[in-house]
Amino acid sequence: MDNFGYIGIFLILSIGFAATMILLPVTLRLLHIVPRKPNPTKYTTYECGMETIGKSQVRFNFRYYYFALLFVIFDIQVVFLYPWAVELSQLKLFGLVAMMVFVLIIMVGFVYAWKKGVLKWK
Amino acid sequence: MAVGLEHFLVLSAVLFAIGLYGVLAKRNAVVILMSIEIMLTAVNIAMVAFSRYGQFITGQVFVIFIMVVAAAEVAVGLALIIAIYRSKKTVDSEKFDLMKW
Amino acid sequence: MDLYLLSPEISLLATALAVILLDLFVKEKWILGWVSVTGVIVSAIFALSLWGRVETSFGGALAVDQFSIFFSLLFLGIAALILISSTEYSRKFAAFRAEYYALVLLATTGMMLLASTRELISIFVALELTGISLYVLAGFLKDAKSSEAGLKYLLLGAVASAVLLYGMALVYGLTGTTYLDEIAAAISSQGILGSPALLMGIVLLVAGFGFKIAAVPFQMWVPDVYEGAPTPVTAYLSVASKAAGFAVILRIFYEALGPASLDWGMIFAVLAAITMTIGNIVALTQKNIKRMLAYSSIAQAGYIMIGLAAFTAEASSAIMFFLACYALTNLGAFIAIIAISNKINSDEIADYSGMVRRAPLFALALALCLISLTGIPPTAGFMAKIYIFSAGVNADLLWLVIIAVINSVISAYYYLRVVRVMFLGEPLSEERVHASSGLRIALAITCLGVLLLGIYPWILMKYSEIAAITFLP
Repeated sequence: MDNFGYIGIFLILSIGFAATMILLPVTLRLLHIVPRKPNPTKYTTYECGMETIGKSQVRFNFRYYYFALLFVIFDIQVVFLYPWAVELSQLKLFGLVAMMVFVLIIMVGFVYAWKKGVLKWK
Repeated sequence: MAVGLEHFLVLSAVLFAIGLYGVLAKRNAVVILMSIEIMLTAVNIAMVAFSRYGQFITGQVFVIFIMVVAAAEVAVGLALIIAIYRSKKTVDSEKFDLMKW
Repeated sequence: MDLYLLSPEISLLATALAVILLDLFVKEKWILGWVSVTGVIVSAIFALSLWGRVETSFGGALAVDQFSIFFSLLFLGIAALILISSTEYSRKFAAFRAEYYALVLLATTGMMLLASTRELISIFVALELTGISLYVLAGFLKDAKSSEAGLKYLLLGAVASAVLLYGMALVYGLTGTTYLDEIAAAISSQGILGSPALLMGIVLLVAGFGFKIAAVPFQMWVPDVYEGAPTPVTAYLSVASKAAGFAVILRIFYEALGPASLDWGMIFAVLAAITMTIGNIVALTQKNIKRMLAYSSIAQAGYIMIGLAAFTAEASSAIMFFLACYALTNLGAFIAIIAISNKINSDEIADYSGMVRRAPLFALALALCLISLTGIPPTAGFMAKIYIFSAGVNADLLWLVIIAVINSVISAYYYLRVVRVMFLGEPLSEERVHASSGLRIALAITCLGVLLLGIYPWILMKYSEIAAITFLP
């Protein structure tokens, strides 16, 4: 059994699982084990819970973009922090100072965004 | 047949070609940005595969840098798309025709 | 690890951050421009103090040698001239002046790093630092044309980076290292010379960097971006970005891919011929002066690529000398255009009619720079062309030099047409054109430089020759 064998088994299992889950209710319905009694409540998006308002395809306020952009920038920096944190004991003081400079530069960007009012919802 | 370096390189090349096709054929600027991301992902796969099969670790460091820089690039790209959408009300790249290509 | 070797870049980066922070907390905005210029001067002093040292740092990723310092000083000079000459133009985006200065400084930092890094990851990061700053600068006016220029530049630039990265991945995969000197050693020792994968990697690298230096067929972004971007940014793009592209090409191809020079020398020779011919022929039909200079800058890239194809120490010295002369000349032309266009609000060549009577000094300066771009003595452009053509002939590229000479003759037509319009045309109005002292100082410096290098080129040539032996003794 080599590498593509495992992939084949995964493929068969996943297709089989999906097919079972789709075919099971259909078969049960055809065998008249499950009754068919439709009513308006059953056709709503959430059968219990919140009532939905309006259509699902609305245009989002573009202000969300600013937050998303800021989030992407700050979020991706963590990629650098993780390997640095793992190896900090070997990197010693130089590593610490280098990372402090890096974080400081990002802080400048954060202060800039803050003062320019990007974080405010106007 | 064992999965080796060649398989990853073929996957990477195919993915790169798909991205390049998207850049050349699509008209929506956001979709073009997404296609560029696919091309960068293809590069990342090649880098990691080389790094794994050649036993030299630098490729993985390279991948981290590519991901971070790509995020910065996309942020700037989306900001420019917002700016252009405000003045032209469209993100269709064929309608960016104030100057001919 | 000697941080002093990195001091020019560090001081420039610190200035950029200081400008951004000062803008937030200080009311007197006029100091921002002077802080930026001071930062550039301080960085240049640090760079000058490093001249003569040949050292590497950061595990071999950073090299300080005459080559990197030559280019650092070139970029700093260009940045200073751009900052001085955009004091008046920046009224168009008064609220974002600090961001403009900071981005110019950051782009310059990236370019200086490009000239001095010897490791693929650092080269990529420096390239993107330059690129992303320039994308934002190109879209800085935020009107429809400028944002369009910024977006086109970003999309095509990102594709070029992706192609470049794929080439880097192949070279890395073949050699197992990202350090340029180790790549060169691996190529000559492991017998991968002439392997199809290496050739593929080289072609992809040429394509990626060809975008940066605007070589045909990767030039389609140039006219649109140059026309749409703010004029000082166009000037900056046309000289600094191109010089940075050539700096990094010299680094990578001369240092890392030197053993494979037979493969890429021919690619560059063919691209050079195509680039100069197409650039010149399309420039003949342009009516907008910024678009005309865009195509002219494509053609000039073609001349410089003769030096890349030659692959000798003389050729790389000629490339550096040509880039410095071209920077002075093109900056002079663009500064004159900024001064005139600010007043008449038009970039059309027809509107420059009779300009010699409305703005005699600016028209004369523009004429001098256009003559230098054509390559007529006694200007810097003439010396630069002679130098690079003779390097080409000495490297057995006579056919390429003949094509280049024919192209120079063609280019005279469109350069001198502008001069004719300015000197012989009837003025459209009697109104005089005035400009700020910053523009006049910058223009005086560039024009004096053009004349000085045209009459006495040796003062710069001796430094470019020292810098050139970094790679090829």
